[in-house]
Amino acid sequence: MHLTPDERWELIEEIARRTLRFGNYKHTLKDAIGDFTVKPATGIPFAIAILFVFWSVFTSFAALMTDGFMIKIFDNHWLPWLQQNFPGGPGNWFYALMVDVGQRQGSAIVASESCFDSFGVLTSGLFLPIGVVLPAIMIFYLMLSLLEDIGYMPRLAVLIDTFLHKIGLHGYAIIPTILSLGCNVPGVEATRILETKKQRFMMMTLLAMFIPCGAQIGIMQKVIPQYIGFIMLYLFVGYFLYGFIMNKILPGKTPEILMDVPAYQKPLVKNISKKMWMRTAGFLREGVPFVMLGVLIINVLYIFGIIEFMATAMAPVFEGWFGVPRETAGPLIAALLRKDLAIAQLGAIEMTKYQMISAVVLVTIYFPCIATFVMMLKESGRAFLGSLLALMIVVFTYGGLLHLIWKLMGVA
Amino acid sequence: MKVLLMGHPNVGKSVIFNRLTGANVVSSNYPGTTVDYTQGYMRVFDRDIEIMDVPGTFSLDAKDKAEEVAVKMLMENPDAKIICVIDTSKLERGLYLALEIIERGFPLVLALNMWDVALDKNIVIDLQKLEVILGIPVVPTVAISGEGISTLVEKLIDVEPVDILHISNTMKLSCLMTSPGCAGCKGC
Repeated sequence: MHLTPDERWELIEEIARRTLRFGNYKHTLKDAIGDFTVKPATGIPFAIAILFVFWSVFTSFAALMTDGFMIKIFDNHWLPWLQQNFPGGPGNWFYALMVDVGQRQGSAIVASESCFDSFGVLTSGLFLPIGVVLPAIMIFYLMLSLLEDIGYMPRLAVLIDTFLHKIGLHGYAIIPTILSLGCNVPGVEATRILETKKQRFMMMTLLAMFIPCGAQIGIMQKVIPQYIGFIMLYLFVGYFLYGFIMNKILPGKTPEILMDVPAYQKPLVKNISKKMWMRTAGFLREGVPFVMLGVLIINVLYIFGIIEFMATAMAPVFEGWFGVPRETAGPLIAALLRKDLAIAQLGAIEMTKYQMISAVVLVTIYFPCIATFVMMLKESGRAFLGSLLALMIVVFTYGGLLHLIWKLMGVA
Repeated sequence: MKVLLMGHPNVGKSVIFNRLTGANVVSSNYPGTTVDYTQGYMRVFDRDIEIMDVPGTFSLDAKDKAEEVAVKMLMENPDAKIICVIDTSKLERGLYLALEIIERGFPLVLALNMWDVALDKNIVIDLQKLEVILGIPVVPTVAISGEGISTLVEKLIDVEPVDILHISNTMKLSCLMTSPGCAGCKGC
């Protein structure tokens, strides 16, 4: 037998009347902090402070670990050891693939001095994910887990709600967005908490295009720290701009949300460390092999001249429309596998700083990495075709816009 | 035997799941951490029991895709036993979902989670009375520290479905209690 909702509530009211007693409740410090962090006047400055601390700790810890520790191990010990002991040596194709493709100096090819340049499966293929990305995502996930377990995320959602409503989403969209800053895959999965198809479609498309993942940010932090601020700003502006446009032209509902803001909790060290480890392990399991595979594929494509062929064929688009060197073709292929790998490759191409910014933006928005692609396909089914279409339009308009800006500034 | 962990978002289902199975499911302090189900196993009295951590849902009328997963899980497992996890401080709205599940004929154990938080808030619940009225086991738990979890498992083994009519009838019975001349019954 089924009751109507009204009957159910009546029954519950009666049950509660007989079993439930509320004593005096004193306003505690927890409630005071809760109010402080959610009221706009105090909450917004607090949120900015939190995000600033997050960013500062993230960049300084990642830089400290990579420059102070990882680079020394990889460049002073691992690379020279391989260069001496790996069978084949310079000139051998297998050696080039696995250890060091070498650096052109005039007509001669000399040994690389860093794991950034050597671009072998065992050198760059290990150094990028472990030496650069691992410290970055570890510290990212530590802080993310902290914010999650304390219960800060829903407050951030409340604060940004009005803003996100302007683009047809609501505050809770901040959760998939922040998760995506770690990795787009769980971010796309988290779009399930949004109510309508339209919201999910918009969110997924925006995430895949405009939110760089932790691995990518980690490499950007290493390769182009001086431009990262501008690039992130341009991406966030794109997120809102295209969100606004999609909201206007797409059919479907964008309902209000009633949100539960849970009480703050003391985070448990055990839970935090467990989550951090699980997420990091996920990266080691799925990220590292993909970077190594990516290095291998890119090297093979270079050897057979396929990348050069594509670069030449696509040159008018790259150079004419986007204003980036045609060599960007290589990184764009790598980006299909791993965006972090693509950024590292860009670092090795000669270009002006404006071209570099354009190229990084292009790598970010032009297509999701394979892992995100698969998750989007799984989560959205046929609507994915729509996502791809939106993506194409955005790449050409927003990527071209940046080129136009440089032209107007007279630097392109 | 199959067990589904159901309840509102952010009441601690995943923490209980990790406790029961020793698994490592991500749990956080915000609604919507779990958006897909996870399966796990626990062994009780030499029996393997399959447990599923289900995304949080406010009712059985799904409002988003995570809730759809939850409702679908329930429909696909008509033989399952349910642990309905409730935030003790929000008993009433938790009961709404519990009643819905009871109405569909599932045997159910009620876990009043975050019992400690409710105590701090001076919220007092008459557990025995609640058990008698509902006709199902009610177990106070504190999932993050593990309190009440073993009791929860014990009660789960023998739980039977109850009739929603029985519940409303019990309420009527205990109504008689308050009228003069009532000799008393087990209803309160």
